[in-house]
Amino acid sequence: MAGSNTSKYDVIVIGGGHNGLVNAAYLARAGKKVLVLERRHVLGGAACTEEVFPGFKFSVCSYVVSLLRPEIIRDLDLPRHGLEILPLDGTFTPMPSGDYLWRVNDHGKTHREIARHSRVDAEAYDEFGKAMQAMCRFVKPILSMVPPDPNTLNPRELMKLLFIGRRFQGMSSYDKYNQVQLMTMSAIDFLDQWFETDVLKATMSASGIIGTFLGVRSPGTAYVLLHHYMGEIDGAFRAWGFARGGTGAISNAIGDAAREAGVEIRTQSAIAKIIVEDGKAKGVVLANGDEIYADTISSSVDPRLTFNKFIEADHLPADFLEDINRFKYRGSSGKVNMALDALPNFKCMPGPGAHLRGAISISPSVEYMERAYDDAKYGNFSRRPYIDMVIPSLTDPSVAPPGKHVLSCFVQYAPYKLRAGLNWDDQKEAFGDTVINTIAEYAPNIKDIILHRQVVTPLDLEREWGLSEGNIFQGELSLEQLFFLRPAPGYARFRTPIRNLYMCGSATHPGGGIMGAPGRLAALEILKDKGAA
Amino acid sequence: MPETKSDRRDIVIIGGGHNGLVAAFYLAKAGFKPLVLERRAQVGGAAITDEIHPGFRCSTLAHTAGPIRPDIVQDMQLEKHGLRLITPETCVTALSPEGRALSLYQDTNKSAQAISAFSQKDAVKYSEFQQSLTKISKVLAEALATTPPDIDHPSGADLWSMLKTGRALRNLGKRDMYRVLRWGPMAVADLVAEYFETELLRSVIAARGIFGTFLGPWSAGSSLQLLIRAAGDSHLAGSAFFAAGGLGTLTQAMASAAKSAGVEIRTAAEVIEIRVKDGAATGVLLSSGEEISANAVISNADPKRTLLKLTDPTHLSPDFVQKLQHYRGNGTVAKVNLALCGLPNFTALKNGDGAALKGRIHIGPEIDYLERAFDESKYGNFSRQPYLEATIPSLADPTLAPDGKHVMSIYMQYAPYQLKGDWESQRKALGQTVVQTLAQYAPNLPELILTHQIITPQDLEDVYGLTGGQIFHGDLALDQFFTMRPLLDWARYRTPIENLYLCGSGTHPGAGLTGGSGANAAREILKQLKK
Repeated sequence: MAGSNTSKYDVIVIGGGHNGLVNAAYLARAGKKVLVLERRHVLGGAACTEEVFPGFKFSVCSYVVSLLRPEIIRDLDLPRHGLEILPLDGTFTPMPSGDYLWRVNDHGKTHREIARHSRVDAEAYDEFGKAMQAMCRFVKPILSMVPPDPNTLNPRELMKLLFIGRRFQGMSSYDKYNQVQLMTMSAIDFLDQWFETDVLKATMSASGIIGTFLGVRSPGTAYVLLHHYMGEIDGAFRAWGFARGGTGAISNAIGDAAREAGVEIRTQSAIAKIIVEDGKAKGVVLANGDEIYADTISSSVDPRLTFNKFIEADHLPADFLEDINRFKYRGSSGKVNMALDALPNFKCMPGPGAHLRGAISISPSVEYMERAYDDAKYGNFSRRPYIDMVIPSLTDPSVAPPGKHVLSCFVQYAPYKLRAGLNWDDQKEAFGDTVINTIAEYAPNIKDIILHRQVVTPLDLEREWGLSEGNIFQGELSLEQLFFLRPAPGYARFRTPIRNLYMCGSATHPGGGIMGAPGRLAALEILKDKGAA
Repeated sequence: MPETKSDRRDIVIIGGGHNGLVAAFYLAKAGFKPLVLERRAQVGGAAITDEIHPGFRCSTLAHTAGPIRPDIVQDMQLEKHGLRLITPETCVTALSPEGRALSLYQDTNKSAQAISAFSQKDAVKYSEFQQSLTKISKVLAEALATTPPDIDHPSGADLWSMLKTGRALRNLGKRDMYRVLRWGPMAVADLVAEYFETELLRSVIAARGIFGTFLGPWSAGSSLQLLIRAAGDSHLAGSAFFAAGGLGTLTQAMASAAKSAGVEIRTAAEVIEIRVKDGAATGVLLSSGEEISANAVISNADPKRTLLKLTDPTHLSPDFVQKLQHYRGNGTVAKVNLALCGLPNFTALKNGDGAALKGRIHIGPEIDYLERAFDESKYGNFSRQPYLEATIPSLADPTLAPDGKHVMSIYMQYAPYQLKGDWESQRKALGQTVVQTLAQYAPNLPELILTHQIITPQDLEDVYGLTGGQIFHGDLALDQFFTMRPLLDWARYRTPIENLYLCGSGTHPGAGLTGGSGANAAREILKQLKK
């Protein structure tokens, strides 16, 4: 029937998060007829902007951008589609003693500020920056690489392993030493080698734990530190920023680029099932019962949804299913978003000022960070959590009514699995109170200026954003879940045991953050198999 | 003439611990005449037996031989030199505070049967896990017996051995190969949770991943330690190897074997400096003022003691010194040895079931218990509810104590070397904590105690020369393993100082009483000496 043919697509992309959209855009640009299906009413997945309270727009989940791959910005011409990144200047860490640590993008200022705490550290800080750049140069090509399969004898794959080996050999012995340590050590053990100032180490180590269920002293966190160090805006290392209009503006820009390339995007289109016949994916069934067929299905949602929810187990090999069931999510963070009547007033630096324009980090000591983790290990949210706060309305007034502000707090640890007897629906407000009480220790006026607050628990992330167990990276970034082991050994190359079914989300190499790399790499692999139209 | 006063040797070995003795033996076999200099009155390092109470002898530190490499036992003919290994059928018994006991045996089926009293599912999984580990451990054992490759300039031999290891890995088959790659960096708590639901079983196996290191079961990389241990002893929870007469007989047998191979051993001979001239080691200076010059100096002491204390660091590049200062080795264990006037009565064991106590006794009933014990140590306190590994060696070897009486040897973890306050003032509290913890499982224990011997991490450093009280001469962690032990590019038993070598546990493979480091070092040093 002619009718059924016209409704057939080359590719259906499940999920309109940033990776799904990147994936769709690249495929459409190669001539594929692509349909993106998004369950929610807004695009972007966890990279979304929502007007939660009238006049106040929030980057509800992901709130800063840095990792977005420059080749994607270039290829999709995102600035033309409305992407504008506003720099986030500096990190301000208030301390209980009444002192603070304030690092900014101005080298001289930061040097003087760190020297105020320790002269040695001020010198080491420059060295550290240089060393990390060398590490990033080594790791970056690996991020743009489809992971090789160590089990193969295919010469091309072996060449890839050799390539990594050669690049490693090509580094100076100083860089090699650092690289090996970064891949294996804890953030604190690594930083201990460079710095003596506790608050500096604590704040820097925070990058090593974001989104993982690990503490700053857990081996493997040094790598996550690097992962976050790789951010770049316009090629400048270690620069973070806001998208004008909130993080959703990034997804919208990618969405626009995709639409321009011919992608059809449907929101409020939840998937119920992926249709598999004879080991091949053929299409999807929507929650409303509609069936849509396509040659290729590309799933940007996490493996649990893709393989445990949308596909019946008997279509999958037992070994693979075992690996997928074992893949660790374990969300460890939540968000608290607030609409404010005025700006918070920090005891250690009263009044408004440039320190409020950057990130404000509640990470006063290494012990504080580690104790926050200890609470989480036994199923409690941290009594005194690590909080990373930003006030985007200072940089981008469009997100709040005049004179008012939005405050976005990333909070860790908030373990998805609470101890027996507790559940997140009951704990949600207590969690919000804990965050506010913690902030109030540094900025006592916070309690008086809150107009509204929105608490996002790991359970909310799962229910509303489809992130299993609330993991913001669609699966932990731990060493045994990286590279050729992400998400499952033997299936790190965006392909699945089911023909015509691909994965393109953060659960694939190189992982989470608003990076877009999985979506792009998956598109290139799909085109390799299917040929450009 | 002054020359006649100065003794000249071909090889001097600093320290008569087990690795020093093993290295000395192999070098003597190859025709050299090594001189071993031991600071203390007896050789043996951390593998010694002392009389802790008149008539009661106990393995002072290490209490199981763990596990010594069979080829070394054979080469040194240790049995002929007096070693008798006792391997009780019960490897380990884990106790729960509710009065349950789980014994694991040498025999996998018997272990599985014991587990089935807790969980039928776990019993099946146990055999499955054991099978995988047995296969994997063979490959690992091979890898541990090789010298780590030279990263910068791999030689033909290096490439060949890497290729061999790679092939052996591939030959495991896809599933097991991925297991090795995946397990290495994992937290051991996750690994055991993938297989088992019974907390007691999970924790007794997880203990292998944390013993002796500054890691908790939830620390990533703790599985690696389990794998390294499994390379020498593939039993999932670890076997129990005792030496008749205490572990001192193991090193006494080694000393005897070394002597008959031509090694000279001097005790009470403390080296206080390694003499270096023009970038090469020329000999050693003893505390007596005596100098001994040598063509090669081999140190069985830990890397930090060897290169930062015994050697004038000005002979090393600042970069190297800095890296070595960052080599992590903060001890986490203490030891308590007890002389007992009778066998403690464990509530979990019916009518004083002696057989269950012949292996190791594990106290640490849940993963969370072990992790909480670790938590305290991160902030400089010793655990108030510690993880304990105890043995009652007099059960299998009655010669250690008078009739009907016993010795009990207990490893206590976590006792951080870096304590808030000093260890001397905490010594008594540490002993009490250990006894009280045990009394929760064997209430009559306190009244049986004739004497305590309490060894704090500070004692481990001061008396036994273990820097930082680290029993493995440096943490066994992902970043201090294989080509990185002790430092990246210095994992081949050589040091930046010519003619100065390392052969102790601070070199690959490191862990426990295996003799692996000594044997590997001897092989590499021989290559150098024959050049």
